Amino acid sequence: MENPYYPIDTVVEDIITETPTIKTFCLKPARPIDFKAGQFMQLTMPGIGEAPFTPSSDPNISEKMEITILKTGKVTDALHELKPGAKVGLRGPFGEGYPLDKLEGREVLVVGGGVGLAPLRALIYALLDDPSRYKKISIKYGARMPEELCFKRQYQDWKNRADNVSFQPTIDVPAEGWDGHVGLVTTLLDDLDVSIEGSYALSCGPQIMLKFVTLKLLEVGYKPPQIYLSMNRKMSCGMGKCGRCNVGQYYLCVDGPDMCYDKIKHVPNVFG
Amino acid sequence: MKFIDSTNFVKLIKKLTAEGELYYPFLDEETGSYHLKRASGFPLEEDFELGGYRAVEPSKGVAQHARVTVAEYPSENPDEITNPDNIIPSVVLGAKGCDVNAMKMVDKVQVEGEFTDPLYKIRRDKMFVVAADCDDCKESCFCTLLGRKPWPEDGYDLAVSKISGGYLIEAGSERGEKVLAENGKLTSEAREQQIKARDEKRQKVLARLKENNSQFPDLTGMPEKLREAINDEIWKELAKDCVECGACTNICPTCYCFLLYDRKMDGDYFRRLSNWDSCQLTGYARMAGMLNPRASLVDRVKHRFYHKYDYLVSSHDDIFCTGCGRCIDACSASIDIRDVLARIEQKVTG
Repeated sequence: MENPYYPIDTVVEDIITETPTIKTFCLKPARPIDFKAGQFMQLTMPGIGEAPFTPSSDPNISEKMEITILKTGKVTDALHELKPGAKVGLRGPFGEGYPLDKLEGREVLVVGGGVGLAPLRALIYALLDDPSRYKKISIKYGARMPEELCFKRQYQDWKNRADNVSFQPTIDVPAEGWDGHVGLVTTLLDDLDVSIEGSYALSCGPQIMLKFVTLKLLEVGYKPPQIYLSMNRKMSCGMGKCGRCNVGQYYLCVDGPDMCYDKIKHVPNVFG
Repeated sequence: MKFIDSTNFVKLIKKLTAEGELYYPFLDEETGSYHLKRASGFPLEEDFELGGYRAVEPSKGVAQHARVTVAEYPSENPDEITNPDNIIPSVVLGAKGCDVNAMKMVDKVQVEGEFTDPLYKIRRDKMFVVAADCDDCKESCFCTLLGRKPWPEDGYDLAVSKISGGYLIEAGSERGEKVLAENGKLTSEAREQQIKARDEKRQKVLARLKENNSQFPDLTGMPEKLREAINDEIWKELAKDCVECGACTNICPTCYCFLLYDRKMDGDYFRRLSNWDSCQLTGYARMAGMLNPRASLVDRVKHRFYHKYDYLVSSHDDIFCTGCGRCIDACSASIDIRDVLARIEQKVTG
């Protein structure tokens, strides 16, 4: 019987510093890993432990994988110390992934905050692969300061990809040299460039941001079935066996981690 | 239906256990409780007891060890750990109705779905279950409130009912039928009188259970009622009593939660272990950056009830409570799940 707890040998080929606390790890697994945008991996830091991350790279590429990681705990602290050539392990992919089928022919609103743009970047790659399949793709992204914005090198490409694609970043407080929008990412949702009826909104970011993005989306007219949120819970096995990542009746590792808000809105402490 | 006398029954168990290990219940005279024991070999010690009621320990640890190595890294052959040839078969003797029901429930989680937990599945596949009727019950037993029976209905290989001079024995699986067919010499056809004696015993225990639990409501309709009580004050009251020891979940035969963790050995070598875990403990749901969706004890206490009586009903189509009452006996704060659910019933239905 195949052992699903044993990780695939993986080499860290390159490390890109995105922000003072966020790095993108360019990984080469010993065998290709097919994943859908939004599915996640369990990344092993040998001898330290595992932590779940959604790849930030193009889901069309399975030979290599990029994972963008905020330094925030035991495993991620150790990961941030790594140098190119280091060995790590990968298990997965796990979870449902984004509901791409549902988005076809629709106006799609993508709302990210901080390192939350990492899983959304895999979605953006999938959407921009053929933007004509969607009516409109509107990406809103916020970080506290300009130096905390991830993937800055790609913004121009995203904007130029097609006429129906827009990208708008914002920072929380004014900063020298910044001439873009200032304010929390929710302030970008007031005068939306999408027609809400029939559209879907997908969001990923810190729990507190998800909460206020959800409230704002409801306020401007989105209904719970139109909202998908990347939820965070402690995960261990990734396979719906260990019991801990549940949000109500759903296991995020099997049914998520992106959940339709309509399914989980009644759960106590849904935003942590 | 067959009859097997006590001497032949031990012979049968000895044959079944030839290549594996045996777990059986015995009565501890000092405490008056039944305990599950791992046999040290044959002849079986005289203390094994297949009557009575469920043991203090559930049999879940036979399939899901409290702590087990699931991977060693790096390894030339990572699938060696999950090679069925390396797993010893087991015979679980004297599993009660609640015990086999619990195993059936946990099977749904660990075996069904897109993924399977390999070690659990192999241990379950290599487990031979000889279930047994309850001919007694404990004050804390309440299987009848969930519409369940104090005797095994399915989910076993063989089932025995203790009667005068031996046991009535019947098969509940192909493996069980094969064993009975191969050991025809050890058994005889059961007489009508013996079956009648068994049925009378069963009805007597059933009546006692109903009598013992007459002050509590039927719990089969609990999921809907619980959903209405999500913000009730009762959870705060329970949290005042709960001492966060995790005994209720450790002793529960349907609690299956585990945590994977890595232990560093020499150099790059590490071992990945799976360890039972409890949702009642504060670190259970804690994430990186100290985020915790159930940081308060109120939410953790509430979670145990909702996971068993609501979430798993939606996701796995069963109330994950057998009514064995082990959590009642184990609780240092004397929290009785029946009391809690009865109070909710009363509040919701007025």
